[in-house]
Amino acid sequence: MIYKTRHAWAFLLPAIILLMVFSIIPIIWVIYLGFTSYNVFQPAQWVGLENYQTLLSDDKFWHALKNTMFYWILVTPAITIVSLLLAVLVNQQLKGIKLYRLAFYFPVLVSVVVTALLWKWMFATDGIFNYFFELIGIGSIKWLTSPSMAMISVAIVTVWQGMGYYMLIYLAGLQSVPQELYEAAEMDGAGFWRKQWNITIPSLRPVILFVSIISTMGAFKEFALMMVMTEGGPVNSTTTLVYLIFKEAFENINMGYASAIATILFLVILIISIVNLKIQDTKDA
Amino acid sequence: MSSNDKKRRFSFSSYHFKRKAVLYIILTAIALLTVIPFIWTLSTALKGPNEAVFSMPPNFIPKDFTLDNFIEVWQTLPIPLYFWNSLIITFWGMILPILLATLAGFPLARMNFKGKNIIFIIIIATMMVPAEATMIPIYLILNKIGLLGTFTGVVLPIAVNAFGIFLMRQAFLNIPREIEESAIIDGANVFQIWWKILLPMVKPMIATLGILSFIGAWNSFLWPLIVLRDESMHPLTLGLYKLDGAFEASTRAVATGSIIALVPVIIIFLLLQRHFINSATSGSIKG
Repeated sequence: MIYKTRHAWAFLLPAIILLMVFSIIPIIWVIYLGFTSYNVFQPAQWVGLENYQTLLSDDKFWHALKNTMFYWILVTPAITIVSLLLAVLVNQQLKGIKLYRLAFYFPVLVSVVVTALLWKWMFATDGIFNYFFELIGIGSIKWLTSPSMAMISVAIVTVWQGMGYYMLIYLAGLQSVPQELYEAAEMDGAGFWRKQWNITIPSLRPVILFVSIISTMGAFKEFALMMVMTEGGPVNSTTTLVYLIFKEAFENINMGYASAIATILFLVILIISIVNLKIQDTKDA
Repeated sequence: MSSNDKKRRFSFSSYHFKRKAVLYIILTAIALLTVIPFIWTLSTALKGPNEAVFSMPPNFIPKDFTLDNFIEVWQTLPIPLYFWNSLIITFWGMILPILLATLAGFPLARMNFKGKNIIFIIIIATMMVPAEATMIPIYLILNKIGLLGTFTGVVLPIAVNAFGIFLMRQAFLNIPREIEESAIIDGANVFQIWWKILLPMVKPMIATLGILSFIGAWNSFLWPLIVLRDESMHPLTLGLYKLDGAFEASTRAVATGSIIALVPVIIIFLLLQRHFINSATSGSIKG
């Protein structure tokens, strides 16, 4: 072979340098900054665990954590189930089914900002949703202007935008389920729902887990949608952890404190990733 | 064929007909749900000043149909500038991840060298580091090396994509040894093997990575938001966000801008439909 070690490094170097500068150094640095007080203008001051002590008694932090968990509980189960149902639907042998797949997938490609703007108009007090809700006698709903409703509205948008992506992942899984299983079940007189319950769900268990983990990670990282739709409000009801990091770091210039929150977010994501790896491992074994 | 058979056959097909009809109704209802927000925005963008944007009942077909909004928005708001900025960011945000991933994927798949496994593990491990957790130090680093407020500063943090390296490595792994060996016998050097022999064989994966990077860069919001101060450098996403908050901006203008932001995505989507399905499911699960 003509390949030498120096060749390997030459090809790897650009990527490795960038990963060092924009991933590995930053994650070490953010953990360090979490133990400091830093406002950019003066050098960072080591404060030990002070930021973490402040966190424990900071209502803003607990509120953001609670909001993030609430958002996650709204989004992940819904998206896991809805996109599975969609996948089963678009897995039917029908004319034009590809067109439907594309239509369901399209929102995935749209920028979060555009998505947020579109839905903001539809959720407006005199918007299209309230028009229909009044028409059918439910009355108008304060989609984005009531603290108890705002996060639910944001979650609806998330499911709307993301379901097409997870649908495709499920679809790939569904197409590898042996067709004979369904045929055998039909011989035994199983109906549509029976077949899904007894064949689809057990065969797709790893995919269902995968989808719920990926959407969990997505839920813990979201903030752009809230930023554009509600600016974290009303009354901070849609301020998530990442949004709080952003506000503390770039609006209040509290970089040390924001880094402590970021470190906690990183640990949460890390734990979820490790769980994911463990599950993938047992699946391969 | 006995009459009994015929009868059974008939009821069988009518059951199928009903089932199909129900499926189509459900599918169409969901498709409407996914598409209506876009149609609503498009119709808002096409409504003239004599028609209320939020007229109820909502009407999707503008009475006062006009393309003036597009012309007006294009001329009075910095939309062409935003559009151009988005194009620059997207160009580099697409080229660099492809280049870096095809470079790095090659030795990881085809060469044996000391430390290969550990390098690969480190690269994969960086996938667990979310940008949302590291935006503060990245901001500080960009500040230190003088890249705040530049397009380079927006593009570099997304230039290398660990997942992309993983995808390219997988693609390179699938190429049979003999192809490389015959190139070596012909006297090709390492760079030529990569560029002339291997890259053409992984085109589908490059397309997949290109699509993922295109969508990511065109829609990128976090880095422009943090890195760019100067309004004249804003991409469409950031520009629309700021416009929406501006007092003087009308819903019509923002709707029109949103439609403009959607155009490239729709074009790419229609041209490369097949690849999208691959890009969405690539690397997700093995079975």
